[in-house]
Amino acid sequence: MKYCSHCKVYIRGDKLQCTLCENSLPDTHDEEETLFPTVPLIFQSHLALRITAFISIAALVVSFALKEIFPSNINSPLFVLLALVTMWLSLIVVIRKRHNIAKTIMWQVSLLSILSILWDWRIGWRGWSLDYVLPISYVAAMFVMYITAKIMRLSVRDYIVYLLLDGLFGIIPIVFVLFDWITVYYPSIICVAISIIFLSAILIFEGENIKIELDKRMHI
Amino acid sequence: MKLKQSKSVEWTKLDNASKYFPATANELDTKVFRLSCELYEMIDPNILQKALNKTIESFPFFKSILRRGVFWYYFESSDLIPEVSEESLSICAPIYNKNTKNLLFRVFYYHKRISLEIFHALSDGKGALLFLQTLVYHYLVYRYEEQFKNYKPALDYNASIKKKMDDSFNKHFIGDNGFTRNVIDHNKRIKAHRIRGKRTEENRMKLIEGTMSVKAVLGEAKKNNTSLTIYLAALFIYSIYKEMNAIERRRPIVLSVPINLRQFFESDTARNFFSTMNVSYQFRKEETELKDIIESITESFQKDLTVDKINYKINRLISLEKNPFMRIIPLPIKDYSIRMANKLVDRGITGAISNIGKVQMPEEFEPYIRQFTVCTSARRPQICMCSYGDRLVISFTSPFKDTEIQRRFFEHLSNKGIQIEISSNM
Repeated sequence: MKYCSHCKVYIRGDKLQCTLCENSLPDTHDEEETLFPTVPLIFQSHLALRITAFISIAALVVSFALKEIFPSNINSPLFVLLALVTMWLSLIVVIRKRHNIAKTIMWQVSLLSILSILWDWRIGWRGWSLDYVLPISYVAAMFVMYITAKIMRLSVRDYIVYLLLDGLFGIIPIVFVLFDWITVYYPSIICVAISIIFLSAILIFEGENIKIELDKRMHI
Repeated sequence: MKLKQSKSVEWTKLDNASKYFPATANELDTKVFRLSCELYEMIDPNILQKALNKTIESFPFFKSILRRGVFWYYFESSDLIPEVSEESLSICAPIYNKNTKNLLFRVFYYHKRISLEIFHALSDGKGALLFLQTLVYHYLVYRYEEQFKNYKPALDYNASIKKKMDDSFNKHFIGDNGFTRNVIDHNKRIKAHRIRGKRTEENRMKLIEGTMSVKAVLGEAKKNNTSLTIYLAALFIYSIYKEMNAIERRRPIVLSVPINLRQFFESDTARNFFSTMNVSYQFRKEETELKDIIESITESFQKDLTVDKINYKINRLISLEKNPFMRIIPLPIKDYSIRMANKLVDRGITGAISNIGKVQMPEEFEPYIRQFTVCTSARRPQICMCSYGDRLVISFTSPFKDTEIQRRFFEHLSNKGIQIEISSNM
């Protein structure tokens, strides 16, 4: 052990300077053991994210510039902006929620519903978001969630609540039909039908699990 | 469609003290603390793993993962198997990540040291120490199988598994019934002096440990007619005071001191069961001496460390938790309010000092164990200490590069003729 004559303390480990006063320690030529591992610094640069961010900004600037130079009726910068917002939001959700696959799918579906309605509305309401996007994404999510859960061997309780939630989402299109907000009916009707069958199946077969999960998550 | 039947899952509510940690843990303050046991010889990872497998059987609660509900966090039992690994992270690196389902503790070995790092929501210093003691016990019994073949040393912690999982807050406190709710604590939110400095890279904890003789330090405390904890707390305040400039001295120095409630209320729990008290010292114009500080904080220890005061404080916290309006607030909003309240409380605290006390191990192990140490992640300089045999280890953790307070602290003791060994991670 080395001795610091300034602080009058012994210094353990392979130190060259006193920990307290930072004066150099006498070299005793002893083999001193290291007490703590050297932990390398983690550089959180995420080059891929930076490149994506750069391309996003460049694309936006170029689209605005092009519109100024070649005026047209189509509001192309807005398309670019909406596309970028959509991409970034999905990306953030995937990165943040990547450890919980069922949750990720649920978030993506909710995000997609809101963004598609927004898109549809901003580019002159044609109704394709309600006609197709919402019903198809709810049904797709249901199957994707079930299949991934099986492939990844998730335990039932890890995804059952999200499956239930998606099933409930899937009933929403019945509102579009009843209030006549849509022009194409069959995707919504199929979606509602599948959702009800799906819901009844999970409630009948997994009702107990759902109850336990809800008790746990909703306890007050 | 047939979904696979899963094993029934057990879940538990968080106890009163635990509720605070998931909300406030972040990169700067991970709410992780570490207990280590240093032996005289290199650690064998295989034996350690065997010992850990054995230990976890008696602490099933340590296999919990922390999850977020709609209104509260909760612990869920898991099938995860804890694995020992060679120390590879900085001290008290984050453990709890709300997006992953991982255990809330880790066991490291490095050369001659076994370290247990725990997220504070799972357990407090005393609870974690019980776990580490059991782990070291099994390690040494396996390591020296021959020697302990016929006769096994006794480990004096035989609480039932249920007792170890006890929520002792719930058991001993009922919360007040509205009568004391109007009594607002006029502790006049004083702003304490706050230590500032340049942070270390990646906000890592800077640990400086001083090992010395218990007897020698106790002797110094006796000279001042006080206890070891109070003496060292006063010395800590004194060291901070010496580094303050004249303007800063207008603000008091306030130390937060955790209190182990097991000494006041019957409990064998390995979960959280502690409270905290603040001791403060307001400097006057003239030069302050160490003995002035000792006198003053001895008084506040006597005044605040009573069952009545503790009862009052905890019952208030419990009634807040049981308040129907609080309960139906969604978790993200609760988290946010706890963080805000925490920031306010923080303004009133300069540093913290925590004494885990004496670590007892069967005396047959004496030739193998060098010392026990404890340290924690900290937003501000914090002292943790514990003793084993005659070796008292005082660990300073700080997020700052500067070590002047630590230097003054240890220099004062070495000037009294106490021999000190210093070890540090940076």
